[in-house]
Amino acid sequence: MPTNNEIAVKTKDLTRKFGRFVAVNSVSMEVHRGEIFGFLGANGAGKTTVIRVLCGLLQPSAGSATVADLDVYSQSEQIKHKIGYMSQRFSLYEDLTVEENIEFYGGIYGLTKGQIRNKEEQIFTSFGLGPYGHSLTASLPLGFKQRLALGCAILHDPPILFLDEPTSGVDPKARREFWDIIHQTSEEGTTVLVTTHFMEEAEYCHRVLIMDAGRIIAIDTPHNLKKLHQKDSVQDVFVTLVRRELEGRKEADASYV
Amino acid sequence: MQRITNVIVKELRQVLRDKPMLAIIFLVPIVQLFLLAFAITTEVKHIKLLVVDLDRSTVSRHIVETFAHTDRFNVVGYTTDLREIRQKMRSWQVQMALVIPSGFGGQLQRNLKPELQVVIDGVDGNTAGVSLGYARGMFTRFGMDYAKERGGITQFVQRLGQQFMQVRPVTTEERMWYNPDLSTQQFMIPAIVVVLLTILPMMLSAMSLVKEKEIGTLEQLMVTPLKRQELLIGKLIPFLILTYVELSIVMTVAILFFKIPMNGSYILLAFLALLYLFTTIGLGIFISTIGHSQQQAMFIAWFFMVFMIMLGGFFIPIENMPFALQKLTYLNPMRYSIRIVRDIFQKGSSLPFLAKDVIPMALFGFLIFTFSVVKFHKRIK
Amino acid sequence: MSSNRILAIARKEFFHIIYDFRTLLIIFIMPVMQLIIFGYALNMEIQRVDMAIIDFSRSTESRHLVQEFSGSRFFRPFYYEGAVSGLDDLFKSRKASVAMVIPHDFETRMRTGPDVPVQLLIDASDANAATLINMYCTQVILNYNEGRGTKTLVPLDARSSILFNPNLKSSYFFVPGVIAMILVMISCLLTSITITREKETGTMEQILVSPVRPSEIILGKVLPYVALAFADASVVVFIGLVVFRVPFNGSFLLLVALTTLYIIAALSLGLTISTRVRTQQVAMMLAQVATILPTIMLSGLVFPIASMPKLLQYVTYAIPARYYLLIVRGIFLKGSQLAHLLEPTLFLVLMALVLLITSVRRFSMNLER
Repeated sequence: MPTNNEIAVKTKDLTRKFGRFVAVNSVSMEVHRGEIFGFLGANGAGKTTVIRVLCGLLQPSAGSATVADLDVYSQSEQIKHKIGYMSQRFSLYEDLTVEENIEFYGGIYGLTKGQIRNKEEQIFTSFGLGPYGHSLTASLPLGFKQRLALGCAILHDPPILFLDEPTSGVDPKARREFWDIIHQTSEEGTTVLVTTHFMEEAEYCHRVLIMDAGRIIAIDTPHNLKKLHQKDSVQDVFVTLVRRELEGRKEADASYV
Repeated sequence: MQRITNVIVKELRQVLRDKPMLAIIFLVPIVQLFLLAFAITTEVKHIKLLVVDLDRSTVSRHIVETFAHTDRFNVVGYTTDLREIRQKMRSWQVQMALVIPSGFGGQLQRNLKPELQVVIDGVDGNTAGVSLGYARGMFTRFGMDYAKERGGITQFVQRLGQQFMQVRPVTTEERMWYNPDLSTQQFMIPAIVVVLLTILPMMLSAMSLVKEKEIGTLEQLMVTPLKRQELLIGKLIPFLILTYVELSIVMTVAILFFKIPMNGSYILLAFLALLYLFTTIGLGIFISTIGHSQQQAMFIAWFFMVFMIMLGGFFIPIENMPFALQKLTYLNPMRYSIRIVRDIFQKGSSLPFLAKDVIPMALFGFLIFTFSVVKFHKRIK
Repeated sequence: MSSNRILAIARKEFFHIIYDFRTLLIIFIMPVMQLIIFGYALNMEIQRVDMAIIDFSRSTESRHLVQEFSGSRFFRPFYYEGAVSGLDDLFKSRKASVAMVIPHDFETRMRTGPDVPVQLLIDASDANAATLINMYCTQVILNYNEGRGTKTLVPLDARSSILFNPNLKSSYFFVPGVIAMILVMISCLLTSITITREKETGTMEQILVSPVRPSEIILGKVLPYVALAFADASVVVFIGLVVFRVPFNGSFLLLVALTTLYIIAALSLGLTISTRVRTQQVAMMLAQVATILPTIMLSGLVFPIASMPKLLQYVTYAIPARYYLLIVRGIFLKGSQLAHLLEPTLFLVLMALVLLITSVRRFSMNLER
């Protein structure tokens, strides 16, 4: 667990509304450099929205946020150079080959041909994509598409990585292998922010943040959470907390009657 | 700059790999060109004629022969039953019926100005009108020939002299400028060029941008340092190239195969085409911002196109439209580009003459393009 | 065949359609607008043609001639003081479409003869317009001649009667055509898209795992579009009847029956396309080329088939709209009955059968892969 004091990502009272719907409600957190920071929550809890705000895809409605010491409001262009993003849909060009996708994204990030080739080599070896170099992305098995998407996200060695449900639809074995890769990048100093709704993946994170209805309902290491709530798994912690929230809301509604 | 090149390379790779799409880009315009060039004609030929000869005299047979010998009319039947006219028209077997009443020949001989009857299927108003015109023309000619023959030359001249006295009829000598053969193709094909300049770039840009939206790569790109304008430029340059390639192919076919005269400057054409492309590509970009799926984008693009074509003076001359609609066409960029391209081809017009149309077209291009690009930038946030 | 399953699929497809608000809007607005344009704009008469007059004679007679043109609503004559050589610029800047040159001895030739020719210089870039302009000029001059007492020597007379559309209204001709067009658009285009879309997104596989049979899939998917097609067509018919006052002289039942036949034929065409194509983009483009374009250009919608080159005429046999146009125009305007429309009906039946059978077979084969 990284014990440095460098803050990679920081938000204070971050809020994002869509009309009257508050997707992210006053979220404050700090992520340390090199941490694997997990966002847990049910679908619609707001985790993807937070990520999208931090990536510069959405503007916050209120509050502040900095990524790599750069302000999300005014310095979003510079932030883009420092982050890697992998979306739920993997966002690869199916009609290009693996190599062509890498070449494309590499160029977009300003890498030279030599640099791209090096990174390509690395990705081929460590991700096992070697034999697929010339294949059309559409023909890859899902697990390999996932790896390619990750590979494209880290071509420029970004210090911060945002992964939005990166393991959706992938079999458990591939999921575990993927997390091995995430661990490795974290050890090399990359900060990784991951959203997931697979509770067991939470165990792999250094710290997790549990969201429900746009608000943070817990933020701590998995170990501490389990101890505090006396549960054996993060999943049980999650269920308890969410249920509590639900009851709290019911009471609040009832008190209006 | 490097980023733009990356986008261009990616686009080209994607397009070149999509074999069916390529076939469509290159074959479709050619097919359309041929179809339109040959099919579009408002000439009327082979009118299906039913002959109802109730007289059966030598004269009536002569009249029927004149109709049978021209390829304007196609005699499909002979009958003496008038009721057949309506029935055969109902089953589309006959378009026009020539009715020669009994006693016609006799009356004609005795100079009693007998009456022929023509019954015509009025459903296709245009064809009906033209057919009627042809028929009347043939009657007139027959009548005059008959009078000449019958009365002998001297009687004819006598009567001429009597009737005309001191006043001669005015006659006309017509000269058809720019198109002495009255070829419809000459008129249509340049317009087809414009239609292609519209369809291809609009569809390509709209669908390509929407596809990125659909599959999620647009979002991915927005997280990268790639700026929106770089993405646009990177995508548009391949489209421009493809459009110009298509343009060259179509023009080559038009000039070499259809032998359309090109009296104007190629360079001027290429330049003005570029101006027009601002409009069509701009529209494509606009459509990509309002459509959520490729199918929607395609529909919307199609919607725009149908209107632009119908109100653009393509096959319906703008001058023939009711006033209100004519005013509407001023808002249609295609109206100007069709005029411009036609004039360059047929009249060899140069820029000063085309200014009346070039300026609005350029203005539209500028406005639409800027508006669409701004709208494209404004997304999501 | 389970009607439950079919209805379930149909319902899902129906929601797809309803939720796609924009496409829906276009499907209903487009024909209405097309109706307006075709109904009002597509008329082949000329109007207010700018005519430059170069009058070298400047006599009373020549002025009378020019007045004859001013008095006609087809022409807008104006005097042009330049030389004939300047006409090229005049035509290029579109200030005139025709020029009449009256020779300086116009008046004298009228009295001494032998004839009195005036020159008509016509901008023939639009060949059709040029022909019409020529025709109308000749007519005006004929009127002028008759007004001055020269009679034409024709010993016979001709009377014409126009059946089914006595005022030669273009709306009567085009409204049924628009019906044919939308029906093709919806039937063909959308079915081809919807099937390829499912193929592309892979939801096809999910359906296949269920006990649904391929024929049920097709029926279910296609049903909502048939309903949509009828709805759209009804709108057009309504507007045609009420706004354009297109007469309806035939049997409503027959119209519905044969329209259904046509829809089936068009749908089968759409299906055939979708079984051969893998991506949506291609499906759309192909549908456009293979159906909509030929329907507009080659089916007799606007341009008479008989005037097309023979080769093209053979091609038109493959277009369902060609037959339907005869049917729908016949029923509306002529009161044609089934006996009159046997030939086009049989062709449609043949087409529908062949296409349906081949496409269902191909569809099943595709699924099995």
